Amino acid sequence: MANNKKYWVGLEELHETEEFQIAQENEFAPSKSVDEFLSDTKDSTDPTSRRDFLKFLGFGVTAATIAACETPVIKSIPYANKPEEITPGIPNYYASTYYDGNDYASVLVKTREGRPIFIKPNSSSGQVLNARINSSVLSLYDSTRLRGPLANGEPSSWVEVDDKVREGLKKAADSGKQIAILSHTIISPSTKALIGKFKEKYGEDTVRTIAYDPLSYRGMRIANERCFGEAFIPDYDFSKAKVVVSIAADFLNDWLMTGSFTSQYASRRKPEGEWMSRHYQFESIMSLTGTNADKRAAIKPSQEHDLALAIHDELAGMMGASKAGAKTDELPMDLVKAAAKDLYANRGSSLVIASCNDPDLQVIVNGINQMLGNYGSTIRTDVELFVKDGRDEDVAALINDMKAGKVGALLCYGVNPAYTWPGANAFKEGLEKVDMSLSFASWGDETASLCNYVCPDHHYLESWNDHYPKTGQYALTQPTISPLYDTRQMQDSLMAWAEMDGNYHDFIREVWKRYAGEMAQEEVLFDDFWYNSLRRGSVYVELPSSGTPEFDSAALSRAVASAKSKKAPADGYEVVLYTKVGIGAGTQAVNPWLQELPDPITKITWDNYITMHPADVESFGFKMHYGQELPASLAKLSLNDVELTLPVIAQPGQKRGTVGVALGYGRGANEEEVGRAAFRTTSNGSFERDSDGKKVPIGANAYPLVSTASGLLVCHRSGASIEDTGQTFSIAATQTHHTLMGRSSVLRDTDLQQFKTAEPSTYNPPHVLPIHEGGKVVDKAVKEVDLWQNHPVEGVGHRWGLSIDLSTCTGCSACVTACHSENNVPVVGKDEVRRGRDMHWLRIDRYYSSPMNMELAEDEGKGVISAYREMEVPQYDNPETIHMPMMCQHCNHAPCETVCPVAATTHSNEGLNQMTYNRCIGTRYCANNCPYKVRRFNWFNYKAYNKFVGVNPAQDEMARMVLNPDVTVRSRGVMEKCSMCVQRIQAGKLDAKMKGKPVEDGAVQTACAEACPTQAIRFGDLNDTKSVVRKEHEDKRAYYALEEIGVKPNVSYKVKVRNS
Amino acid sequence: MHKEAAIREPLILGDKSYHDITNDVVGPIEGKASKTWYLLVSIAGLISLWGLGCIVYLIATGIGVWGLNKTVGWAWDITNFVWWVGIGHAGTLISAVLLLFRQKWRMAINRSAEAMTIFAVMMAALFPGIHMGRIWVAYWVLPLPNTFGSLWVNFNSPLLWDVFAISTYFSVSLVFWYIGLIPDFATIRDRMTKPLAKKIYGILSFGWSGKAKNWTRFEEVSLVLAGLATPLVFSVHSIVSFDFATSVIPGWHTTIFPPYFVSGAVFSGFAMVLTLLLIMRKVMRLENYITIKHVEYMNIVIIVTGSIVGVAYITELFISWYSGVEYESYAFINRFSGPYFWAYWAMMTCNVISPQLFWFKKLRTNLTFTFIISIVVNIGMWFERFVIIVTSIHRDYVPSSWSMFYPTWVDIGIFIGTIGIFFTLFLLFARFFPVLALNELKTILKVSGEKYKKEDH
Repeated sequence: MANNKKYWVGLEELHETEEFQIAQENEFAPSKSVDEFLSDTKDSTDPTSRRDFLKFLGFGVTAATIAACETPVIKSIPYANKPEEITPGIPNYYASTYYDGNDYASVLVKTREGRPIFIKPNSSSGQVLNARINSSVLSLYDSTRLRGPLANGEPSSWVEVDDKVREGLKKAADSGKQIAILSHTIISPSTKALIGKFKEKYGEDTVRTIAYDPLSYRGMRIANERCFGEAFIPDYDFSKAKVVVSIAADFLNDWLMTGSFTSQYASRRKPEGEWMSRHYQFESIMSLTGTNADKRAAIKPSQEHDLALAIHDELAGMMGASKAGAKTDELPMDLVKAAAKDLYANRGSSLVIASCNDPDLQVIVNGINQMLGNYGSTIRTDVELFVKDGRDEDVAALINDMKAGKVGALLCYGVNPAYTWPGANAFKEGLEKVDMSLSFASWGDETASLCNYVCPDHHYLESWNDHYPKTGQYALTQPTISPLYDTRQMQDSLMAWAEMDGNYHDFIREVWKRYAGEMAQEEVLFDDFWYNSLRRGSVYVELPSSGTPEFDSAALSRAVASAKSKKAPADGYEVVLYTKVGIGAGTQAVNPWLQELPDPITKITWDNYITMHPADVESFGFKMHYGQELPASLAKLSLNDVELTLPVIAQPGQKRGTVGVALGYGRGANEEEVGRAAFRTTSNGSFERDSDGKKVPIGANAYPLVSTASGLLVCHRSGASIEDTGQTFSIAATQTHHTLMGRSSVLRDTDLQQFKTAEPSTYNPPHVLPIHEGGKVVDKAVKEVDLWQNHPVEGVGHRWGLSIDLSTCTGCSACVTACHSENNVPVVGKDEVRRGRDMHWLRIDRYYSSPMNMELAEDEGKGVISAYREMEVPQYDNPETIHMPMMCQHCNHAPCETVCPVAATTHSNEGLNQMTYNRCIGTRYCANNCPYKVRRFNWFNYKAYNKFVGVNPAQDEMARMVLNPDVTVRSRGVMEKCSMCVQRIQAGKLDAKMKGKPVEDGAVQTACAEACPTQAIRFGDLNDTKSVVRKEHEDKRAYYALEEIGVKPNVSYKVKVRNS
Repeated sequence: MHKEAAIREPLILGDKSYHDITNDVVGPIEGKASKTWYLLVSIAGLISLWGLGCIVYLIATGIGVWGLNKTVGWAWDITNFVWWVGIGHAGTLISAVLLLFRQKWRMAINRSAEAMTIFAVMMAALFPGIHMGRIWVAYWVLPLPNTFGSLWVNFNSPLLWDVFAISTYFSVSLVFWYIGLIPDFATIRDRMTKPLAKKIYGILSFGWSGKAKNWTRFEEVSLVLAGLATPLVFSVHSIVSFDFATSVIPGWHTTIFPPYFVSGAVFSGFAMVLTLLLIMRKVMRLENYITIKHVEYMNIVIIVTGSIVGVAYITELFISWYSGVEYESYAFINRFSGPYFWAYWAMMTCNVISPQLFWFKKLRTNLTFTFIISIVVNIGMWFERFVIIVTSIHRDYVPSSWSMFYPTWVDIGIFIGTIGIFFTLFLLFARFFPVLALNELKTILKVSGEKYKKEDH
C-alpha cells in the first residue's frame, strides 16, 4: 500500500516559504568561511576588558589544572577475535577432576571470560566437594607460585633445564644408580603408562616409582592382604549401613573417599526415611564425624585394639563363637555392648571401620565385618579403591638408599617429604647424596628448595590428566585456562626427558583409545566417546563382580594374639595427629580462604593447637577460655627429640590423657617460598619475624610426631609430656561461647524415638501468644499476630527461601568456602578474626550440650544466676554437638530494614532482604538490630589497606582474578551480608525468560546449597507450591529460628533428630 | 514588674547595686585574662587537638580502629553521643521550663547552663557523624531532593528521627541562648573602649538600643522560644531513646525508655552544670550570684531525677522477670551478673545511691561534696549508657555470636578529645561572653526584703 504520510521538519518546509526554497538549493547551510571569520574586524578590534581577561585567565588556569590531573589508566584488552564459546557475562562450565593425592572429586569449573572462578560438584558424578576442593581455585592465581623452572635455586629456562636434567638422568642411568620417582599415589592410567615409557628410556630396573602418602592407609592394605591375600582397599557403602561403628575414623572429613561417604551417610540420616542409621563413634579427639555420632565415647588411641576386641567378643558371645578375651577394664563397656547388640541385630547391613594404620587392628575390624557378613553389602568387594596406595616401607627404603648414595636422581611429584616425612632430617641428609634432585612443586616448598631443579607443574586447572580412582570409574581433568606462568605439566616434562614426541594430551588420547572399547562398552567413534567423556568429566563402567574373596580366619587369630601382646603405652600423654577440615594434610596451607575457614569443632582460624580435655587443662593450670583479649596458654609438647610449642585449647569430648594436634601447619619453617598466607602477619600487615629476622610460620609442624615405629606411618603416639611455658598466645576464633543456653527457639533437637511416636508439638512446639479478641483471651500462632503490614510477597511472583536440615548437616563447612568464593567475601586475617570481625556471610554455629539446664536447676534448688553460669559450661566428657548453618534469614519483617536511616537495606518483591552497598552510610544500626547477628561490616578498606596485603586475595594482582565479576567488591564503611546469591537468581530468571518458561525448581541454586554434600541446605521458590523448599518449610520438623520475635524469616530449619 | 514579699530571701547577695552587677560580669571581659585561664585553655586545647587527631585517623583509616566487632556495632561512640546529649539537657530545661514556671533563681545560672547545652550538643552531634562508615555521604540522612532517582530517607528509622530531633533542639537552643545574650552584648558594647571589640560586640548585639520596645519584644520572643523549647527538652531524649526502644534487642526493646532517658538526661545535665558552675563561681568570684541556695535547688533536682532513674532501673529488672521472656530476663541477669557486672554496679552506685545522700541538708549545701557527687553522677550516667548499649548487644539472641567489647586507644582518645573541645569552648565562652544574664539579673535585684542585704556577708 502506498504511504501517503508526509514528514516535515519545520513549519517552513510545510508551508514551503521562500526562504526555505532558497535554502533548499544549498546543500550545506551557509556559514562564514575561515577567511571571512578571520578578516572580521569586529571580533579582533573589540578591546578585551580587564574583567574578561580575568575570566579567561581563571578559566585557563582551571582548565590547565584539571587537565594536569592524570586519571588512572586502567588497561583492558578487548578480544580482537571473540572466541566462539565465550560471551562476556555468560559463564562457561567445564567438567574436570580434582586430585591432589589426598582428595579426589569430579568437579565443574565455572569460568568467566576465560578465568576459572568457582568450583562446584559435578552432580552427574554423584560426588560432592569439601571445603579444600572448592577453595582450590584460589591456589591457581597464587602470585607466589613459581613462574618458571629453577636450576639450583636460580630462575632458568626450560631448554636449559631439560638439557641438564636429561644429562643428569643419563648419568644416573649410566652409573648404575637408581632414578627414583617419589610421588603421591598415582591413579592416572596415562601417567602410569607414561612412566612405563620413561622406564623404557632409562632402564626398567633403574627407574623406580615410590608412592608416598603422608596420611598412610598402608596398614589397611596390609590387613586386607593378610585376610584376603590381596593388598586392596574395598569401597564402602554407607547408604546401606544401618549401624556404623567407627573407631576413630573421621570419614566425614578426611578418610579415603570422603566425598562419596558423606552423601551416602547423610542419605540415611533423615528420620523420615525408611530407616535411619545409628552411628557409634569411639575416638580420642573430637572429630567432625564424632560430632555427628548418635553415640560417642572417648577412648585413648592405645585402647583401640582392646575396643575392637571387645566388640568382637560381644559379637562372638551372641553368635556363640570363640572370644578373643579382650581386656575390658577401662573401656566404655555399656556403649560397646550397645554397639555390639545393634551390629548383631543388623548383620549384613552394618559397618565397622577404623582409621588406625595398624594392620592388626584392621584385621580385627575385618574379622568383625566378616562375622557380621558385611562383605558384599556395606563393604563392596566388587569395587576397589585405587587411591591411597602409598607404601611407607618403600619410602623408608628409598631414604636409606639415598643415604647410601644409591640414588642417582630423585624426582618428587606431588609430595613434600622434607615437610611431611617424620624423619625429615634423614630425608634431607639423603637428598644431599642424591646426584640430581628435582621437584615438580608449584612453590619453592620445603623439598623443592633443597632440590637441584624445580620444574613447576601446572595447577590442575591448567592441566590435562586422567584418573582411575576406583573400579569402573574413569575421569578426566581438562585445562580451563592457559597456563598463567611459565610452568609445564609434570607429564610433559617426563615426555621431554624421555625424548618422546607429542604432548601429554595426545598421549592420554592414545591411552584412552586403547580402553575406549572397554569403557564405552559399545562401538562408538573414539572422538565422540572422548568429547562426551570430557563433557561429562567421568565415565562409569559396571564391571562384573569378582565375588567375595575368601577370608583367612587364621589371620584374625594371629592379629588377636599380636594385639593382645602389644606393649602397654608409654607413660605420659598420648598424642593424636589429625587433619582439619580446612587445611587437611597441608598442601593448601597457603590458601587464605582455608586458613580463614573456622575449624568446625573449635571455630578457631589461622592456627593449629593442642586440644586437651578441660579437666587436664585445669590440672595444668592452663587457661580454660580464649577470646579477643584472652590468649591461650602456650605449652611445650615433647616426645623424644621432637618439641612443639603450641597454644592449648580445652576441648570438650577429648579423652583425658590424650592431646590432639592438627597436621598441615608450620609450613615454610625455614622461610621457604610456600606462599604468603603460610606466615604470621603483624597488625600492620607485615610478616611477623622471630629474633633471627625469619618469617614465623603459622602453627607448628606436627608431622615429626608421626610414628614410624612399626615401619608404617601411624598418626598417634604415646609417651608425650606437656610442659607449661608460662607464656600465652592469642587465638582467633569466630565463636567463643560454646553452649546454647537452653534457647530452644534458636535450635531444636530430639531423638528418633520421640520423633516417631510423639506429636510434633512435643519436639517442635509452635510459638503461641495469648491475644485479647472479642473480650476473650485466645491463643494465636505467632505468625498470625502482626503489627506490620505484610510485604506483598506471599503468593505473588517468586519468594525465595532456604531450608536447612540440621539432621543432615555435618558441619563440613563446604558451604562456607563456597559462599566465600561466590560472593567475594574478603579475607581479614588472624588479628581481625580475633577481634570478632570475620566477614563470613555464612557461618556454622557449633553448640555443645551443657550438663545444666533450667529444669535441673529448679530441681536442685539452684538460683537462676548460678544456673546460667553453669549453662555456659559445656559438658566436658561427651557433649552432644549440633552444627547450625546461619546466614541472613531474609526476614519478611526485617528489623534491619526499618532502622536504616537511608533505606540502604530493603525488601525485594521476591522476599529477599537486599543490601544496597552504594547507598549504605555505615551506621551499623542494622547489624545491632539483627537478632541473628549475620550482618558484616567493612571495618577497613580490605582491598587496599596495608594490613590485609598478605591475606586478602583482592589485594593481589593475580589473585584478584578469582573474584566473581557478578558480585561487587565492597568498599570500606558499608554493611554486607548474605544476598541469597541474588546474582544467581537474576541469572536464572533471565535464563528462564529467554526460554520463555517459568523458573524451574532447582534451576537456581545458591552457592551454599550447591556445595552442600548432604543436601541439608535446599534453596527454591516458596511461592512454587511444588518446590522442594516449600515442602521442607511445611515439614513437621520445620521451624523458624527465633520465630517468636515475629521477624518472619524466609529461612527455615528442620529439627535435628538423633538416633540415640 | 514582679514584686515579692519583703521576707523572701534575696537571690543576689552582697548588697549589689545595678552597677556592681555590670562590673562583676563585664569586668572580666574587659580586663586581661588571667594566667590560669591561659593555662587551662592550653591544656583543653591540647586535648582537643589530640581528639581531632584521633578523629582524622578514624576517618582516614576506617571504623576498624575502634574496638567494635560483628556483635557489638555500637559502643563508646553511641555511649558518648547519648551522654553528651543528656548533658545538653539542663540548659534548656533551666532557661525554658524554669522560665515558664517563673523560677527567678534560674537567672544566675541559665546563661552558662545554656552555653553548656550548646557545646554539649555539638559534642553529641559529632558522634553520629563520625561513627558512620562513610562520613563523606553523611548528608544522605537529610531529606534532600537529589539526582539519585527516587531515593529518599527512611522515615521509619529512629536514627533519622534523631537527626531531626537533635538539629531542631540545637537550633532552638542556640537561638534562645543568643536572644538572651543580645542585651548583654549591648551593655558590653556600650562600655567597651577598644574599637575592634566594640565593633564586634556592636555587631553581636544586633543594634540593641534598650528601648522599651526592644524589651517588650525581647520578653515576648523569650516566652515564645521557651514555649517552643520546653517540648523539645522532652522530645530530644525521648527520640534518642527510640534508637533503642524500637529495636528487637532484649535490653533495648523497652517501653520505659523515653521518660527514663529524659530524667536521666536532666540528672546528668544538672550534674554537669554543677561541676562547671562550682568552679566558675570560685574562679570568677561569682559567689554572690551563684549562691548556696542555687546549689541546693539543683541538688534537689538531682535527688528527684536520680530517684526516677533508680525507679526505672528497678522497674526494668522487675519487668524482665515478670515478662517471663527468656531473652529479656537473661539480658538483665547478664547485666548485673555477667562479664560487665562491674559497669552495672558502677552505674547503680553512682546514679542511685550517691544522689540519695542529698537528702541530708548538710551534704547538699556542702560545695565540695556537691562537686564530688556531680562528677560521680556523670561517671554513673556514662556507665548507664554503656550498660544499656554494650551489655545488651554483646550477648543477645544467638549465643554463638556472643562477644566482648574492648576499647582501643582511638575510642578513648576521641572521648577524651570531646571533653577537651567542650572545655575549650566553655573557657572561650567564659572569657568573651557575659557568663551571667546581667540584664535579667538586674530585674531580681530589688525584689526581696531589704533586711537581708544589710546583714553581714
